[in-house]
Amino acid sequence: MSNNRVSRRQFLNYTLTGVGGFMAAGMLLPMVRFAIDPVLQTKAEGDFVQTSQKVADLTEEPVRVDFSYEQVDAWYKSEVTDTAWVYKQGDQVIALSPVCKHLGCTVNWAGDSAHPDQFFCACHGGRYEKTGKNIPGTPPTGPLDEYEVAEQDGLVMLGKKIANTLV
Amino acid sequence: MFFNVNDVQQFQQQKDFIDTALVPLLSLDFKEAKIKQSSSAAEFLMSLTAFIEQQFKGRLMLVPPFSYTEQTRNGVSVELLKKEMEDAGFKHVFFITCDHYWTSFQEQLDVIWLPSIPLESMDTGVKQSILQNQLNQVIPTFTSKWFQV
Ligand code: FES
Repeated sequence: MSNNRVSRRQFLNYTLTGVGGFMAAGMLLPMVRFAIDPVLQTKAEGDFVQTSQKVADLTEEPVRVDFSYEQVDAWYKSEVTDTAWVYKQGDQVIALSPVCKHLGCTVNWAGDSAHPDQFFCACHGGRYEKTGKNIPGTPPTGPLDEYEVAEQDGLVMLGKKIANTLV
Repeated sequence: MFFNVNDVQQFQQQKDFIDTALVPLLSLDFKEAKIKQSSSAAEFLMSLTAFIEQQFKGRLMLVPPFSYTEQTRNGVSVELLKKEMEDAGFKHVFFITCDHYWTSFQEQLDVIWLPSIPLESMDTGVKQSILQNQLNQVIPTFTSKWFQV
């Protein structure tokens, strides 16, 4: 019985280890949390950005929609403006990225009067169908990217860029 | 394209496609009465040229601006500059500026001159549409040159 009694020395040892452990955890946890925090946070690019384009005003004719969001690059914040070509296909809202798949110029809908129902890249004459499918024989080698689309309060919301799902 | 390592490497591989250089000529004025206006013009020219770069990324390289003051302006030899860039493989060299002085070179060189617009007091939406507007004005200058050859 008396063998199992916790001596004064043991008691102090236990308690000090306990308290020390707490202190260490108190110091380490924020550091760990800080280190993996970016992983826990939902990325800004996964968020939808609201545009000023009303869904009800969309037609089958692609229109240019500009949208801005804040981009945080390490400690540097900047306001980025992006553009999408948005139109309706039946009930579905389609938003295409205007970045040419050849070397990255900005394409325009009906930019070439000879092809009024295509996207046109003025840089080297690249052309795309309305679905974003690149026209063979022109420099681009792939279809235009698409944006994820959502609707909120009747306005078009744009999400991240994804590979074209229409072609 | 911008004048950074990544884009320059791409330029080296794609000289057939990236054949145009855009050189901003930027006037700086440090005099008390002019410095604010000068910075505003610089901001405008930098925003607009970045916007042009975005539109024509695959065909045009925006180089860092050549900056000068009234006293050092004569040191900027635009003809030599053009020559050096042509030797490097640029078929077209455009200069863009808000300084009226350069319009006298329009005979020999492609100089795009625009009066500066104070963007600093505008919110993003308005700024965007002004820049878009200015861009639409300069697009024909590029395309007419490109399709002439
Ligand atoms: S960048 Fe569009 S065709 Fe070359």
